Amino acid sequence: MGLFLLRRSASSLSVLALSVVLVFLSIRILPGDPVLAKLGAATEVSPEALEALREEAGLNRPLLAQLFAWIGDAFRGDLGVSYFSQFPVTQLVAERIPVTLELTFFIILIAIVLALILAPLSTLKPGSILDRVIGYYTSIGLSVPGFVIGIILILVFSLTLQWLPSRGFVPISEDLVENLKLMLLPAVTGGLTATPYLVRYLRASMLEIKQSPFVRTAEGKGLSSVRILFRHVLPNSLIPTLTMLGLIVGYTLSGVVVIEYMFGLPGIGSLAIESSFKRDYAVIQGVALTIISFFILTTFLFDVLCGIVDPRLRLAKGQKSEI
Amino acid sequence: MKFKKRFSFSGFLILSILGVCLAAPIIAPYDPNAIGVADAFSGPTATNWMGADDLGRDLFSRILYGGRITILIAMSATVIALLIGTTWGLVAGVRRGWVDEFLMRTADATMAIPQILFALVCVSAVGASVISLPIVVGFLLSPTTARMARSAVVTELASDYVTAAIASGTKRSKLILSEVMPNIAPQLLVQLSINAAAAVMLEATLSFIGLGIQPPNASWGTLMLQGYAKIWNTYWFVFFPALAVTITILAFNAYGERIRVTMDSRRSSV
Repeated sequence: MGLFLLRRSASSLSVLALSVVLVFLSIRILPGDPVLAKLGAATEVSPEALEALREEAGLNRPLLAQLFAWIGDAFRGDLGVSYFSQFPVTQLVAERIPVTLELTFFIILIAIVLALILAPLSTLKPGSILDRVIGYYTSIGLSVPGFVIGIILILVFSLTLQWLPSRGFVPISEDLVENLKLMLLPAVTGGLTATPYLVRYLRASMLEIKQSPFVRTAEGKGLSSVRILFRHVLPNSLIPTLTMLGLIVGYTLSGVVVIEYMFGLPGIGSLAIESSFKRDYAVIQGVALTIISFFILTTFLFDVLCGIVDPRLRLAKGQKSEI
Repeated sequence: MKFKKRFSFSGFLILSILGVCLAAPIIAPYDPNAIGVADAFSGPTATNWMGADDLGRDLFSRILYGGRITILIAMSATVIALLIGTTWGLVAGVRRGWVDEFLMRTADATMAIPQILFALVCVSAVGASVISLPIVVGFLLSPTTARMARSAVVTELASDYVTAAIASGTKRSKLILSEVMPNIAPQLLVQLSINAAAAVMLEATLSFIGLGIQPPNASWGTLMLQGYAKIWNTYWFVFFPALAVTITILAFNAYGERIRVTMDSRRSSV
């Protein structure tokens, strides 16, 4: 287990380091001077003043020095200062992240519940009408962009039925019911986007488990097919699905950007979009770093979880079991 | 090795979409940017099949021309992703060792960066155009292509005919270009189709958050953004471009799936 943890954290850390460098470099290589953007195009500024501002923002130092300074600060929880509002980026991100995390939590919850209903239903009788209908749902679901699902939901539930509001946000601390009401449409939007991936994966691994000898034994004992499905097949197919779930949590974290924006939720996604319109690179970098860290952390945690549940997965590629 | 050639609905759909967009100047009843050809916000009528927008521009014509932009961007992005991704995966799969390790870790790292966020940064810095969007989208799609190409190459290099070719002294470059590449072509075609779907989706998403092609030209995503802003008055405005995007993505995904299934059944029957 120790070796597995070590190997897994080493690969996670290397991916993290590489993506951090990629984010930093791509933002620096791109044209668009943040100092000029901050001053606005109309104002006449002397080259000396411009130089002083650059110096102050640390934009004059060599790229590598900037990179290491940024990483060092990030480790201490300091993501720099917004070029515009002068607020610390850490504070901006910290203010907004609860909304993103709440939304992600509900999205994953909805996706898991739906997948746990749909996948067993479709494997109950492979090839049946029900299976095919669920198959069509997953194929179509994979092709519909998240915001189109959002538009449809708004058209139906806000516009036609007028049950739910389509925009806005109220913190949980102020009004729990209102908060949940405003969270519902965005959460369902994200949930419906994530469900097809989960259903497909779970269905495939359930069908595979169904072929194993112990299922035949259970059938031979005369257990009902529903009981076999839920007591024997489903629990065993959850392990491979866990890895997939880790990835989906990660993708959802980055996918909520658009959902937050279209439903007017003040999470880190809309923070990133607002900042990109202002070319506030410090904030975008901070948001990117936060999302990437969460992404890598969740995939790591889910992999470790799988390793705990199923010791066979701890082995490296090509490594033989000792048994 | 023969398999029945059947009518492929998704392939037909892709061809029709491409055809209709190409023939937009012939089909479109109005100039897409002509203002006041109908009453502003008029619903679908006999003369304006999909209604008109806030400036009285014909939505049907705008969708036809918007499709040209969307498809053009998606196609170029797909080609870019294929070129970068295949080279990336090919080098990793052929070289192996630390080169492989480094290239694949870089692919993992690129995939860990949220696509939308990365595109957001690039597009806000250089602006959205028919040149910048395909490059950004193509780059974002390349790591998945690289992983696929690598695994295909590694599997292919393990087969007997490669060992035989090496034993008979075939040059490695010749072996890869004239033997291995044609053999992994079907897998690349699947990836091409999936990438095209992903490119359409990414372009639409970017345009939807306001980082697409700038007015008066409009891609499907831009039209959706305009329609979404007016969703309370004119619900059908957002509906038609959304339908166009969804059908196109569906067609590309279904086509990719179809080739994959054909490929698998061929492989298992051999």
